[in-house]
Amino acid sequence: MRAAWRIQPIHISLAMFLALVAGFTIGDPSFLSLYNAVTILNSVAILLAVGLGQVCVILTGGIDLSVGSIMSLVSVVFMMTLGPLGAWSYLAVLAIGTAAGFLNGLIVSRLRIPSFIATLGMQGVLVSVAYLLSAQPLSAPDTAYGILELVNGKLGPVQAVWLIAVAVFLVFYLMQRYTALGRTILYMGANERMSYLSGLPIDRARTLAFAFSGFGAAVAGIILSSTLYSGYPTIGAVYVLNSIAVVVVGGTAMTGGSGGVVNTLVGALIMGVINNGLTVVGIDVYAQQVFLGVLIIIAVAVTFDRKKVAIIK
Amino acid sequence: MRQSILEALAVGKSYPGVAALKGVDLAVYPNEILGLVGENGAGKSTLMKILIGLENPDSGEIRLRGARAELAGPAAAIRGGVGMVFQEGCLLPNLSIADNLFLCHEEGFRRWGLLSGRRQAAEAHRQLEAVGLPRLDPRTIVGELSASQKQMVEIARLLWLSRLYGVENPALILDEPTTVLQDNEVRILFDILSRLKEQASILFISHRLEEVLQLADRICVLKDGSVAAMLDRGQATTRGVARLMVGHELAEERCRESLQTAPGSEAVLEVEGLGLAGRFRDFHLRLARGEIVSLVGLLGSGKEEVCRCLSGSRKPDQGTILLEGRKMRFASPKDAIAAGIGCVPIDRRNEGLATSLDVASNINLLVLRRLSGGPLLSPRRERQNAGRWVEECLVKTPSLQTLCANLSGGNQQKVVIAKWLAAEVRVLILDHPTRGIDVGAKDEIYRRIRELAASGISLVIMCDTLEEDIGLAHRLVIMKDGRIVRDLACPRGAKPSPLDVIGDIV
Amino acid sequence: MGQVLALAFVLLLFGLGTRGFFLSPKNLSTILSLAGIPLIICLAIHQVVLIGAMDLSTEGIISLCAVVAGFLIRNPFNALDLGFWTVPLVLALGAAAGSLNGLLNTKVRMPSFISTLGMWWVAQGVAVILGRGNAVKMLDPRFQPFTNGEVAGIPITMLLALGLGALLLVLQRSTRLGKFMYAIGGDEALARQAGIRVDRVKVLVFTLTGAIYGLAAILLISRLASSNPRAGNGLLFPAMTAVAVGGVSLSGGIGGAVNAVFGTLIVTALNNGMVLMKISPYVQNAVNGIVLIAAVALTLNRKKLGIIK
Repeated sequence: MRAAWRIQPIHISLAMFLALVAGFTIGDPSFLSLYNAVTILNSVAILLAVGLGQVCVILTGGIDLSVGSIMSLVSVVFMMTLGPLGAWSYLAVLAIGTAAGFLNGLIVSRLRIPSFIATLGMQGVLVSVAYLLSAQPLSAPDTAYGILELVNGKLGPVQAVWLIAVAVFLVFYLMQRYTALGRTILYMGANERMSYLSGLPIDRARTLAFAFSGFGAAVAGIILSSTLYSGYPTIGAVYVLNSIAVVVVGGTAMTGGSGGVVNTLVGALIMGVINNGLTVVGIDVYAQQVFLGVLIIIAVAVTFDRKKVAIIK
Repeated sequence: MRQSILEALAVGKSYPGVAALKGVDLAVYPNEILGLVGENGAGKSTLMKILIGLENPDSGEIRLRGARAELAGPAAAIRGGVGMVFQEGCLLPNLSIADNLFLCHEEGFRRWGLLSGRRQAAEAHRQLEAVGLPRLDPRTIVGELSASQKQMVEIARLLWLSRLYGVENPALILDEPTTVLQDNEVRILFDILSRLKEQASILFISHRLEEVLQLADRICVLKDGSVAAMLDRGQATTRGVARLMVGHELAEERCRESLQTAPGSEAVLEVEGLGLAGRFRDFHLRLARGEIVSLVGLLGSGKEEVCRCLSGSRKPDQGTILLEGRKMRFASPKDAIAAGIGCVPIDRRNEGLATSLDVASNINLLVLRRLSGGPLLSPRRERQNAGRWVEECLVKTPSLQTLCANLSGGNQQKVVIAKWLAAEVRVLILDHPTRGIDVGAKDEIYRRIRELAASGISLVIMCDTLEEDIGLAHRLVIMKDGRIVRDLACPRGAKPSPLDVIGDIV
Repeated sequence: MGQVLALAFVLLLFGLGTRGFFLSPKNLSTILSLAGIPLIICLAIHQVVLIGAMDLSTEGIISLCAVVAGFLIRNPFNALDLGFWTVPLVLALGAAAGSLNGLLNTKVRMPSFISTLGMWWVAQGVAVILGRGNAVKMLDPRFQPFTNGEVAGIPITMLLALGLGALLLVLQRSTRLGKFMYAIGGDEALARQAGIRVDRVKVLVFTLTGAIYGLAAILLISRLASSNPRAGNGLLFPAMTAVAVGGVSLSGGIGGAVNAVFGTLIVTALNNGMVLMKISPYVQNAVNGIVLIAAVALTLNRKKLGIIK
């Protein structure tokens, strides 16, 4: 039996990606230079990591507004622990980010609080913790530069960052496509009532989805602070909206249950291209924000599954 | 000859796969109470929806006071003098009685743009008096009222609106009003309705025949989408009306009776003393391997709640459930499924499947762990499993990747059943398994049910018609008002007739 | 009732913690002046929550209105000097932005929290573009003293806020529009069935909210006699907390202007108390976050929301 062919959001996203590359190149041919491509891929790595985490939560029908604060907290703790813990800092901050996400998950699934309120509240708490640890930006100690080569280094022409991005992508891809957890996340977003009646462990899946979101944000935080050699409590703030944009522009519906990891990869590429292309073509940073806001609105308007939600609030 | 205030003339309505109404003639005259009775699926709710303007008839017409009317909806209907009190109620729970009474019609109380709370309260008080609630404060929030009080407020609203629109003698349709009431509240309701007869006509839908006979001046019996009989008060008896309600044409070999096999002897499921406060009590059941038991009863019998307790979506207050001798406690459907009890819900689109997912995903939903080769799922095993069950259950689908939204109702139902079979349940609860399915697919479902029983799965079913229940089951368990009233064998070749049974149900 | 107790509790707690200073007339007056503009914003947002929707665009619209107002009042960058005529113009701008929120929700049928999230970004971006990242001094001397002044010991911003609160209270309790708002928040499907023009009411509410944002923006910039494109930063979180703490349920249909007043007073008093007790500002943030979660947890009608996502 062959698969029936139908136009899916991912085809639209891919088309958009190609159109954007073409458009920006016409606007300024230096867009397609090797140097620029490398710059884009570097920023895509961060967007991908945080977007992959966000998509896990969005697939369940929720949203994680705390990813930026997790990135910030991770960056601060990372800089603090590089000295004393050396290479173990990587594991330490990954654990912290995942734990923060897990806490989010517990609040949503046990206290039954809507995810956007729970994560809105949590982000306040997490940013506070970051500030308490260090109100001033922290720089990486000189001794740590070698350790940070894990992220900043190169293997021939290939940046280490890309390898990390590929590795993270594989982890999420395997999780979503090939584990019961990933399926449960998808199915509960598609029809939560049915999933409950069919005995799927939705509370546990929801909690773990948030944990994975924390994990993705932690990876993004590590990459970001490594490339900047510093960490501070607002470093991740802009990535909240960016992560949502990555997910939505890639074709995943905010209603949950459709889309996923591959869509997010395309979304990260698109967002990387847009962010970079707009700058190359000469549109200032603030206009970019407007552009992105409009883009999100359009992307959601197109992918939102209105049949699933009887009343739109 | 009196002029009718509301009339349905040769009204017909079909939905895909089923003809809900076939040429219904019904007239409501001034100052009378008309009772409407019929089995589930006889067409009562469809007829009500048409009378109130929520649906349009495919054929025939509705007349209001002799003039043909095309009702655009409940708001238009009320202007024409027809109002309905729905079973679930239409009052906004966070607003006061007065607010609800006058919602969208507050012009009379406005002065310089502002609403006068006092005048609203005074007028509301007058309306409440007219429906026998003189001591109820109109400023009470509706959410705090009892079911009986809410009903009276809704009736008051309809009466007030018809007066506002200058309609004499409106027609009020009440949909199963006594289901939510206590006995003494029922008496109060009937008193008030009898008094209201002077200013309105009432169309009273109920499954409780004794009540209808007590209250109504005339009784209309609906069966299979048309009017089986129209009786005057003196002519009707409970038994007589009940007999008119059932007795459909029996097609040959319906329900594949010849395939009915004898059940095994060991008990798979034993339920003792099961009870859920306010719904049912003292429920006992002994289900043997391969046995099909049908739960029969009308609204309020408690059968749906029994099934919910058995499948784990509700926790019973008392009693025990034993599965193959082991005591079971279900905190959620997950526990019941792990124990081997599955449930095919009545609303398969929303509760049985994820229509936005494909056939394979839906079938493999329950057995993901088993389809893993190591820590990860094996796509090969997924395909194999889904493919096997699609074949076994005869699901007609272009491919395993087809979205379930694109399948017909019958095939969707087969996917749901396949999902449970893949999970190897020992007991399967079927909640109206052939609802909304066309005749051809129904036959396939009947065959499948026979095969399930023959293969050793025990089934608890609730069907759309008494014929189906009797035809499919080894045993019939009749429930009424929360208790079992009769347990009846339905052996192959010696099936009881619906007429024998209906007396216990109503 | 719970809110009065909560306020009393906060007053008592910090009264003891600061050995009475917290409750001194001077400090109470400080609290009132601190609470003025947050109350206005809370009054704006709580209406949207009342009808069961969400508005995350607060900061963006306020920033945009602040920037535009900065250029309309006498300023060093252009020759405009519209004085108090700025007020209706900026209110209209805020209303227009708000109505756009409403239209996205009702016509394009997008959930309000996404459409307002996008609008936040768009408005903020436009604000920064227009403002070119600079602060704009306000050269018209009439605004600042008015905003920072007092009448009978009560700050004018608080008086304006209470006046607005009273107006909204009348709207909610004694007009058709108010009843419709509660009906929609209570059960939107039933409200529609009863004949209420739900879409129209929603757009109206969003528009009114936007206009109030404009008012807040003008007060904000005249307090400092300077406008800047980040004027709205950080205003959403405390306003949402005040809405929740005041008892306006996120499921809709419960609460009103009085709840907004109490909620704002409680949150302002709480933060003021923490400052007086020298609690680190970062801990304050954390406390606010926890208070928000707790307030929502307590006031949410979970049965109505069905599935919590």
